[in-house]
Amino acid sequence: MKLRHRVQVKPHEVVVVGDVAQMIATDDSLLEKIKQLPLYHIQPHDKNIVIIDIMKVIDTIVRSEKAVDVQTIGPAQTIIEVVYEKKRVSFLSFLLVWILLFIGSALAIMNFHEDVSMKEMHQHLYTMITGEKAEKPLLFQIPYSLGLGIGMILFFNHLFRKRLNEEPSPLEVEMFNYQQSLDQYVILHENKESMKRIDDD
Amino acid sequence: MTTIEVAFVVIVGFAGGLAAGTGFVAFLVVLGVIPRLMQLTKTMKWIHAYEWSAVAGAAVGGWMSLRSSVIGASKYWLIPLGLFSGVFIGMLAAALTEVLNVWPILAKRMGMADKVILLLMAIVFGKVFGALFYWIYFVEGK
Repeated sequence: MKLRHRVQVKPHEVVVVGDVAQMIATDDSLLEKIKQLPLYHIQPHDKNIVIIDIMKVIDTIVRSEKAVDVQTIGPAQTIIEVVYEKKRVSFLSFLLVWILLFIGSALAIMNFHEDVSMKEMHQHLYTMITGEKAEKPLLFQIPYSLGLGIGMILFFNHLFRKRLNEEPSPLEVEMFNYQQSLDQYVILHENKESMKRIDDD
Repeated sequence: MTTIEVAFVVIVGFAGGLAAGTGFVAFLVVLGVIPRLMQLTKTMKWIHAYEWSAVAGAAVGGWMSLRSSVIGASKYWLIPLGLFSGVFIGMLAAALTEVLNVWPILAKRMGMADKVILLLMAIVFGKVFGALFYWIYFVEGK
């Protein structure tokens, strides 16, 4: 038997053993029977995350089938994610965030240029290369501005929706790491079996 | 200048350069722009050449900006130069938002995981627009 890492269910559903675990057995009819064993009934107060510990799964199985021998591999608990009716993110709020990011990054880059005195640096560089003075070395600055965008896209490995190669982008790795940390957190904090406290209240 | 004064100036200059150089390397390492470039171009074996490229670039840049030497080359050299420096700064900026962990939180909290690319484009266009606006209009007004 191997527990799945993450399972999504609907609210008020009964989670059965077959939902959370992959199983192999020599007796097919017994396997089907075990897969249908109820494990947990999702309650409204569970909010959106329930942790099923492997001990609970084994307990359910051996209670109904005394003779079976359960061997487990893989993760020791499954995260049950209760998926409620998805709230639609309205197009308006998306647009708002988009404009916020657009104006914010435009201002941030202007502040950055001001902060590092990039104007003087560019004029200096223009003089160094050509030997002439220029108040606005646009010949340098316009390619620079376009390069700014190209560099960011290169870093995130996305040319709009087309990817430049097969590797995951740093963005995707970052999202993955974040999800892993969240999972780790809920496994320890939502699982009552994993903590033992002295009852002092 | 006495010998002691010369030695003192040399030591102070050397120490200052050492501090700035190590700081520059630490900055590059934290942001991880070079590994990212190697990953994109699949040229991991040239890593030492890339190190030397960064070192040589810093040394040449330092020398030129301090000495104000003039090459007297055609001004059209500035176009590729500008493009390259823009790409470099763009990668630094992208790496910086990465370090700040903005994206996963934005995507998770606001339920916009499927629109992250569009939001990324907002930042990219914002940067390009901001830079162009700054150079063409804003600088003049001061």
